[in-house]
Amino acid sequence: MLQKKICMLGAFSVGKTSLVQRFVSSIFDDKYHTTIGVKIDKKVITLDDQEFTLMLWDLAGEDVFNKINPTYLRGAAGCILVVDGTRPHTLDVAYEIRGLVAATLGDVPIVIALNKADLKDQWLLDDDAQVEMRQKFDVIETSAKSGNNVEEIFERLGRLML
Amino acid sequence: MTELLAAFIASTDQVVLEKQGSQFILRSPAPDWFQQLWSAESTQSLVGVSVFLDHFLTDADLHWQRSQDHTPLSSGPFMEQLGESELPLEARAALVNQSQLLILQNLGSAFADQQHLLQAARENLLSQEVLEREVSKRTSEIRGRELEIAERLIYAAGFRDEETGAHIRRIGFYSAVMARAIGWNPLAVDDIKIAAPMHDIGKIGIPDSILKKPGRLDDAQFSIMRTHTSIGREMLSDSSVPMLQIAADIAGYHHEFWNGSGYPEGRRGEDIPIAARIVSIVDVYDALVHSRVYKAAFAEHVALDMMRALVGTQFDPDLFQTFIENLEEFRAIRNQVVDTDVA
Repeated sequence: MLQKKICMLGAFSVGKTSLVQRFVSSIFDDKYHTTIGVKIDKKVITLDDQEFTLMLWDLAGEDVFNKINPTYLRGAAGCILVVDGTRPHTLDVAYEIRGLVAATLGDVPIVIALNKADLKDQWLLDDDAQVEMRQKFDVIETSAKSGNNVEEIFERLGRLML
Repeated sequence: MTELLAAFIASTDQVVLEKQGSQFILRSPAPDWFQQLWSAESTQSLVGVSVFLDHFLTDADLHWQRSQDHTPLSSGPFMEQLGESELPLEARAALVNQSQLLILQNLGSAFADQQHLLQAARENLLSQEVLEREVSKRTSEIRGRELEIAERLIYAAGFRDEETGAHIRRIGFYSAVMARAIGWNPLAVDDIKIAAPMHDIGKIGIPDSILKKPGRLDDAQFSIMRTHTSIGREMLSDSSVPMLQIAADIAGYHHEFWNGSGYPEGRRGEDIPIAARIVSIVDVYDALVHSRVYKAAFAEHVALDMMRALVGTQFDPDLFQTFIENLEEFRAIRNQVVDTDVA
């Protein structure tokens, strides 16, 4: 069966692990659990009658304590950049990581998960930033908490990688 | 491997394997977790047993081939599923006496400790972010109130002063450009943008017979007119609000000259507050390039020639240079901020 490696990337506490848990195990934990290093999960999906295995590399978030090890990106067929709508600077972090992805992997498909859609009334990303982001990237509003658009974002990336 | 060394390795929850060809040979006792994860055959291929390990072994092969590199290559922490729980592991590739060694370590409680610390640090960062956002929101509210008060003061003064609303607004924008160009922080730039339009607010205290007199003022009348600077400063001074402190400096000293021949105090050079030196330049510029009821607008190049003649006497030479360097921005402001009721 065809395998595709996907890297989950973004600032810390944006919901990378929660999105993977929701997608793989259909569970959500409201408490924040920081990720150290790498955790890999798998899920088989079917697109256009073709089954393939997504290898989901959940990498520790970027912050002053942790920088992404570029070797972890090797072999990735696509990336999900996760942004927390309630924390505008996580978009800046996503843009920085996008530079690292381009330098390491070249032009691989990237989708932005604009996460925490369940807290949309608390989003602080201004309109200009959202417009710019949507011009540059494929953006899907997600909520790991409600499950909204979680399957869809992996599916979207899956199609882009096919 | 000596018994002592094997016992030491076992006590640190590590396992040592040596790569020979495509196989790995156990060179130390296999801990339980290793046996549960990947069996404990004395010779085995590790290919395909772990996605992460497969990935790391590519890097490890390169590392082993660089025979001069004796610093072990570390994988960083990774998690392996062991039954219902997750096991935190780290792999290292080392080259010892030409032997290609793979060391796998259960990070155990050290990982838990590190995770606990990092969790606390990141939660602290999140709290800090929330506080910073709250402070920023409150600051923005306060700035909004300051701006509204300043606008109402200017509006009140406007009943008596014949300067146009657009001129007053442009002075704020020009001053902000100057302040930014000389490296003021964003908060101070905002302050001068609000404060500069109040430069002539003291005219509120000048009698109508003088303020609105058509034609030239006599010496006595001009002396009274000059007091608008000290009246303005008095109105705005002794405040703890930084924006009003700047406004008081501007209102009080924007008619001082670099060579000391201005008023009200005859201050010279850097004794004149810098905000007032900025406004004295941009106020003259805007007055020259726009028409008034008593004069036509000068072409910009003429206005600039007139102003150059005043550098070192009226204007601070360094600030005038900054003004010239940012002329494009002033032109853009002139085009954008116009009086709708002036032809």
